[in-house]
Amino acid sequence: MTSSHDPQLLKGVLSLLLLHLLAERESYGYEVAQRLQGAGFTDVLEGTVYPALARLEREGRLATRLVASSSGPARKYYRLTDAGHEALTAGAAAWARHVHTVDAVLSRPLPTAPQKGS
Amino acid sequence: MPHTVTLFDRLRIERLVWSLDQRLYDLPSRNRVARRREVRANLLEAAAEVGAAQAVRRLGSSRALADEYLAAELGEGPRHSWIAAAVFLLTVPLLLNYFLGEAENAYQQALTATGAHSDATFTWSGVAWLQSSVTFVFHQGHASRSGGAWTPLVYVLLFAGAVLCGRLWRALPHRRTAQPD
Repeated sequence: MTSSHDPQLLKGVLSLLLLHLLAERESYGYEVAQRLQGAGFTDVLEGTVYPALARLEREGRLATRLVASSSGPARKYYRLTDAGHEALTAGAAAWARHVHTVDAVLSRPLPTAPQKGS
Repeated sequence: MPHTVTLFDRLRIERLVWSLDQRLYDLPSRNRVARRREVRANLLEAAAEVGAAQAVRRLGSSRALADEYLAAELGEGPRHSWIAAAVFLLTVPLLLNYFLGEAENAYQQALTATGAHSDATFTWSGVAWLQSSVTFVFHQGHASRSGGAWTPLVYVLLFAGAVLCGRLWRALPHRRTAQPD
């Protein structure tokens, strides 16, 4: 597992990760953050996840419902809308293309580094 | 390992929720209340699992969280501010009343200083554009005054100032539509 990620890179894919996690099953905010950390993104703080969920909700990609909890206040569960499923499909395809393109560049052989003093 | 959420933990959580709430006044009240409840519920859940200190630490500062929420709800870039508009509407009338009152006092003191002790009535046209005329009545050594109300221009200026101060045109619905990725 990776314990540290480039924040800029993570910011770009956080929405995609959240959409995928919520496509697997609906969850409430803290649970989503826990699942994300369980997937290896241990440096993703709850303070980053909750606004990202709010953004997706505003964009119409997530729907919410309140579910009573025996251990405290009602939990707000998030699930994907049709627009969310479409965004997930498009985002996953774009990510695959991105990875493929980056891999193609990174897999090129590098010239031998010149030795010091020569 | 589960933690017991003590009264002190709840107070700590409530302090953060309150602090966050104070920074979300530019959101519609229904959204603000919903965010507040959600953050509180998540914090209590986290506190029961990892302890309140860790839960609060992982949420980050209320200022940063509020900025993220505002950007998420209202979009990136410059935004309107109901708080700024409200501050303008609360402070400017107070200052205006103070200065207009001082001007009237100065006029009355000038009349008194020139010996207007007998029964008489004086009219001052007031500060141009900002107030109606003020009438001073001297009767048996006592002075009373009436008039000096704000002109309609003052109300127009207050409205325009509040709009400018709060950048309220940015709150128009067509400016708040979600931007595509």
